[in-house]
Amino acid sequence: MNDKLRDFLYERQSLLNVFIAVFTAMIVGTLVIYFMGYDILESYEALYQGAFKGRFNFGGTLERFVPLLLSGLAFAVASKASIFNIGVEGQLYFGAITAAFFGYIIKGVPSLVHIPVTLLLAAAAGGLWAVIPGFLRAKYNVNEVTTTIMLNYVAIFFVGYIVNHPFKNPNVGVPQTPNVQPTARLPKIMLPSRANIGIFIALALLVFFIWLLNKTTFGYKVRAVGFNPFFTDYVGVKSKLIMVLTMFLSGAIGGVLGGVEVLGIHGYVLDNFSPGYGFDGIMVGLLARNNLKALPFVAFFLAALRSGAINMERFTGVPKEVIGVIEAVIILLAAAEVIVEIKKRKSSDKGGVEVG
Amino acid sequence: MYVEKGVKKLAPIVEMKGIYKEFPNVVALNHVDFSLEKGEIHALIGENGAGKSTLMKILYGIYDQDEGTVKINGEEKNISDAREAMRLGIGMVHQEFMLAETMTVLENIILGFEPNKHKLLDYDKAYSEVMDYSEKYGFEIRPNSKVINISVGEAQRVEILKALYRGAEVLILDEPTAVLTPQETEELFKIIRSLKENGKTIIFISHKLDEVLEIADRITVMRKGNKVETLSQNDATKEKLAYLMVGREVFLDFEIEENEPGDRILEVKNLNVFGRRKLSNLKDVSFEIKEGEILGVAGIDGNGQTELVEALTGLRKVESGEIKIRGEEITNKSPLEIRHHGVSHIPEDRNKTGLCKELTIQENLIANKLPDDPYSSKIGIINFKRVKNFAEELIDKFDIRPPKTDVKMQNLSGGNAQKVIVAREVAEDAGLIIASQPTRGIDIGSIEFIRSVLLDERKAGKAVLLVSADLEEILSLSDRIIVMYEGEIQGTLDIEEANENNLGLMMTGGNPDFKGGVTA
Ligand SMILES: Nc1ncnc2c1ncn2[C@@H]1O[C@H](COP(=O)(O)OP(=O)(O)OP(=O)(O)O)[C@@H](O)[C@H]1O
Ligand SMILES: [Mg+2]
Repeated sequence: MNDKLRDFLYERQSLLNVFIAVFTAMIVGTLVIYFMGYDILESYEALYQGAFKGRFNFGGTLERFVPLLLSGLAFAVASKASIFNIGVEGQLYFGAITAAFFGYIIKGVPSLVHIPVTLLLAAAAGGLWAVIPGFLRAKYNVNEVTTTIMLNYVAIFFVGYIVNHPFKNPNVGVPQTPNVQPTARLPKIMLPSRANIGIFIALALLVFFIWLLNKTTFGYKVRAVGFNPFFTDYVGVKSKLIMVLTMFLSGAIGGVLGGVEVLGIHGYVLDNFSPGYGFDGIMVGLLARNNLKALPFVAFFLAALRSGAINMERFTGVPKEVIGVIEAVIILLAAAEVIVEIKKRKSSDKGGVEVG
Repeated sequence: MYVEKGVKKLAPIVEMKGIYKEFPNVVALNHVDFSLEKGEIHALIGENGAGKSTLMKILYGIYDQDEGTVKINGEEKNISDAREAMRLGIGMVHQEFMLAETMTVLENIILGFEPNKHKLLDYDKAYSEVMDYSEKYGFEIRPNSKVINISVGEAQRVEILKALYRGAEVLILDEPTAVLTPQETEELFKIIRSLKENGKTIIFISHKLDEVLEIADRITVMRKGNKVETLSQNDATKEKLAYLMVGREVFLDFEIEENEPGDRILEVKNLNVFGRRKLSNLKDVSFEIKEGEILGVAGIDGNGQTELVEALTGLRKVESGEIKIRGEEITNKSPLEIRHHGVSHIPEDRNKTGLCKELTIQENLIANKLPDDPYSSKIGIINFKRVKNFAEELIDKFDIRPPKTDVKMQNLSGGNAQKVIVAREVAEDAGLIIASQPTRGIDIGSIEFIRSVLLDERKAGKAVLLVSADLEEILSLSDRIIVMYEGEIQGTLDIEEANENNLGLMMTGGNPDFKGGVTA
């Protein structure tokens, strides 16, 4: 068999697994809807229409697609270096508050300058925040899962303080920052929905990272460090530096995510504004098995589900939490598959199957 | 029992017929027949990648054959997994060990097959059972020590005992002696013989023809996925086996040219290093190597050789002392800086350190070039065409199989993986090559090749530090030999005065007349 064909089949196989997971989850969802006494066909039709029918609905799907894709990308990039970045949530808060600040404070420049500068600064903020757990992991071997989770709280409360006190919009009663300048807002692409050019930014980042990981020496080093740090140390790659840099990049993607949400959707930062975008990325990354090329499909599917669910609830009364059930099943299956994968890899490492 | 000709023959205990197995890139087994008589010691030999491990993994249920049948005691069986193989009385000790390091020897042996009393683990019973086995077959083991603290030889005895404990009648040993010292090999042979006396059947895979001739009743030779011949020990000679394996004559006796050593390249002075164990702490080690010289480091594994190499290559911290390359201090420099000083390194642990099995052959071949990026643009974009050309050149020169640049390393046989490492490190134009067990687990044709590569490097004025557990290798390549014992240099010998006897004595801490010559 030729190699291209084999790689293709391999990728197909992983896509197939995704479909199996999704399909099973949908069946569970269907059963739930059925036993709650709703009409299945009607519910799914409402779901479908809510996700795709009309500019507003489809725009709603695209709008949800962006954070899912970016947080999935952030998670997947870190995991290429074997780092489990659970801290995207905190990184996006730092990106968001930075974007809100520079979107507001910079005045009198055209959008073409204002938007990129603001997003770059947001990326830097998210990246630097992620460097802390990256450094602790690389230098002192402190488990990054623990540190990123803890730092999420620090980030959320820190931003909470900022929007309540020093940077609160005095004209409104709720804790939120002043609106950013109109020049910083991301142009909408599908009015009346809130979908905006953030989607192009997200896709461009995805393409960039696919390229970076596969075509550059830096990407090679990241993958090699993720696979076998003893090997990279031995050939003279600075494994620890690579880990920290990878964490910076992962955090930077989180920062951009925060920035895109602020400049594209809200125009300001509200206390506790994220419904857990950062954590969604873990699900997206797991389901795509950190295969960057699979990320957009997974993110789009989940975005459509969530967007359609609102419509479904409105027209058929099926609570949109049903989608939460479906997502939970998907996560369980995806996680189970990862575990099986790891076990398989361990036993083949040793040249065989352990008996016992 | 091994049945003489003429007597009515029992069905072979194992009979594999027409076994065909294809992996994505190669036909690993091309309609191979293999039959095993009860009570015999049957050696399986062949070049790296010939398909020995694959054939055995099919017998042990790890792989499924694409075609062919397996009969056990005359009955056709479908061995779906290792548990099934165990049930049929087949046990296997793999090329790489699979013990849980933080558990004790006893726990490892009984894992998954624990005797219990009222649902509780019955340690006393387990202990006495294991001790019974070890007495019966003459094993020396210490059931209560942690696996991490035992030697390779002992770990291997534990693996064998583990298989026996699970009821193995047929025991497959995949290159058991590759990691053993000569003394340990002798011990293993005693065990194998006593297993045979007790009616067990042994399959023994090895690249060392002397061993095969010493221990085997019958020998099956494989080449490139085909079975060449099965012959009885009486009909076999070393030359014949080598010829059958490689398909040409092989010469391991090199004509070593006289070579006037040049300038000093490496100088080590009073090196002190903390080791993995107390016995392997380096204590005041001093020596030097000149251009055009091969310095052999002999010693039983675990007497500080590993630590010495790690300290020289920047992978282990030096407590005190000096390491200089061409007069420049490299003590405690990073591995990268040391490589920049012209040191390349073939590490002893190829799977953990020497390669990245998830990456491709070509990616592994350029790994040590990454820091300086000769295969990429200024901003670090890899030029895949150049990488591929470079890799193809090395694959061709070193006869790496399969000869494809983008096959993942994990699909290579042990010997071919080693060739990738050697190719990478030798291709680097370094002044000093530190070669640790460079031919461990490698077939005779490739050994010939790798040794001649090292001699070529010597001729080209490179210095080689050759660490090897194989005395024959040390004796046939070195200009001078240092012997390490308990972290110290027990003595230095010129090649003319060295032989297996005095080296063996010094390796075990003996003190022939030559003691004291710390530098040469
Ligand atoms: N899991 C695998 N996937 C793909 N190819 C494989 C796999 N395992 C083995 N091969 C290939 O099959 C062939 C036979 O390999 P095998 O490991 O049986 O060789 P071997 O005779 O044991 O060699 P060695 O002496 O080096 O251990 C080799 O070409 C190897 O690259
Ligand atoms: Mg093998």
